[in-house]
Amino acid sequence: MLIGISLVSFFIMHLAPGDVTSTEASFNPRASEESRQKLRELYNLDKPVIIQYGLWLKRIVQLDFGNSFASHQKPVLWEQKDKSGNITKGLIQESLPITLMINLIGICIIFSISIFLGTLSAIRQNSWVDRSITLLVFIGFAIPGFWLALLLMYWTGVSNQWLPISGLHSLGYQNLSNFGQFIDLLKHLILPVSISSLSGLAGISLYVRNGMLDILHQDFITTARSKGLKETKIVFIHALKNAILPLITIVGLSIPGLIGGSVIAESIFAIPGMGKLFYDSVLMRDFPVIMGILTIGSFLTLIGNLLADIGYAWADPRVRKGLVK
Amino acid sequence: MRIFLKNPLALSGLIIILTILILALVAPIIAPYDPNFIDINSILFPPSINHLMGTDGLGRDVFSRMLYGAQISLLVGFVAVGIATFIGVILGSLAGFYRGWVDSLIMRFVDIMLSIPTFFLILAVIAFLTPSIWNIMIVIGLTSWMGVTRLVRAEFFSLRQREYVLASETMGSNHFSIITKHLLPNSLTPIIVSSVLGIASAVLVESGLSFLGLGVQAPTASWGNILTDGKEYIQFAWWLSLFPGLAILITVLGYNLLGEGLRDILDPKNKN
Repeated sequence: MLIGISLVSFFIMHLAPGDVTSTEASFNPRASEESRQKLRELYNLDKPVIIQYGLWLKRIVQLDFGNSFASHQKPVLWEQKDKSGNITKGLIQESLPITLMINLIGICIIFSISIFLGTLSAIRQNSWVDRSITLLVFIGFAIPGFWLALLLMYWTGVSNQWLPISGLHSLGYQNLSNFGQFIDLLKHLILPVSISSLSGLAGISLYVRNGMLDILHQDFITTARSKGLKETKIVFIHALKNAILPLITIVGLSIPGLIGGSVIAESIFAIPGMGKLFYDSVLMRDFPVIMGILTIGSFLTLIGNLLADIGYAWADPRVRKGLVK
Repeated sequence: MRIFLKNPLALSGLIIILTILILALVAPIIAPYDPNFIDINSILFPPSINHLMGTDGLGRDVFSRMLYGAQISLLVGFVAVGIATFIGVILGSLAGFYRGWVDSLIMRFVDIMLSIPTFFLILAVIAFLTPSIWNIMIVIGLTSWMGVTRLVRAEFFSLRQREYVLASETMGSNHFSIITKHLLPNSLTPIIVSSVLGIASAVLVESGLSFLGLGVQAPTASWGNILTDGKEYIQFAWWLSLFPGLAILITVLGYNLLGEGLRDILDPKNKN
């Protein structure tokens, strides 16, 4: 497993510098001569690809992603001390926790709502409840998140002024009490979190529904029924436990989508997370930051998958005891 | 055709997609105005008889722009998914037919591509290239072939053991003809279904990119960049945001319905 992971990350790192070297000639004219020269020196573009790759890998292993071209040349990944002892925080260091927080809250919400909807849909199969949930799921798949974000922004923020529509903190955030700060943060998070969890909500509801339907037709459920167990106990204890197990894997697989989706949500709501950082860097052609985020993003995905595998093995006794692959 | 009538999902999806296709094709005929004609005397008019969906901040007719935007949406969807399916079928066939190290190599590549956040990858590549509709179609295509590869490979794994394939191999058919005559035609169902669903997500990605200003560039109308304008004027001009969003929603919904419906229709388990 670990060998596989290291192999994969090895190749991802190979992919990233490939982008720079292969498109060297087609650099956008917007990049100044100075920054081109900087880039050439930084990535040793005069040397053969293999050596460039080796040099790049060497720096990445030491977690040195270089400094941003823009943003006052802040370090990309982690804080650095300059000669006079001032600490400059890294761009990813500042923005990653925000993105992680939004997505983690999002995942919790996705799970609690979609398990509920999926189960409801499955036990009332083909009723009007099931049909309307399925319709909602289809719409949830199809609705463009940024459009819904605009409408919600307009409805809750502009015409009714219930919720703040951008940023993470209000003016005068520092003057609030701890509790006040918490509430303020929460208010700012409601819109972005609901937008970024929308498509996941649809997908996982459908997944839970289909999983539940499968399981409700299996022998052990029939046994439980013939034993005379209560229907609620059968559904919520026997069936649900089995239906939500595969979700552990789904979380792992959905991480790249969640991180990618954060670009749109964060740029609309002006939240200083990794998605917005990435978007800004793309606009400014800030290559060290782009490559740093790509690498970190892929790395997070790998960690997510690894955690999902471990979690699955831990939660499913059949896997734990090696009965099934 | 009759099977479509029996399946309400597929039927409604088909009707939606055909309607949009026809609207896009006849756009030059039915569009009441030139989509790029700037009229400073009619800036931000609300919807009326003259301007069915109002006008935008430059006085352009939104309905005409929506019609031309439909062309872009359909084009991006078809071309991007065409590229993705082409790559996916070739790599999936190779992996599923030859197995062994070919399979491991291709599947590792698939794993790598899957672990890079796709939207980041697309944005990064766009940063290296200039954003244009062709680049976008190619980039979306090049970053979404992994699902098809896995599907084709899995189908081939199960088909390879069938007697008719073994028979054909024993009779000395070459690999290419076994793949194209026996294996691919029998794995068409999942390929078609995943392509249709793929078009839906390509349309979403294109509109997202255009919305961020990294997709189809002005003045060419795309539903995504009409929405970007809508964002500017959201306080005064709701029609600029409402219509393009609805159009994207309905189109994507149409492809999803068609895809799910086709899955039901083409699945031999549902034949009875």
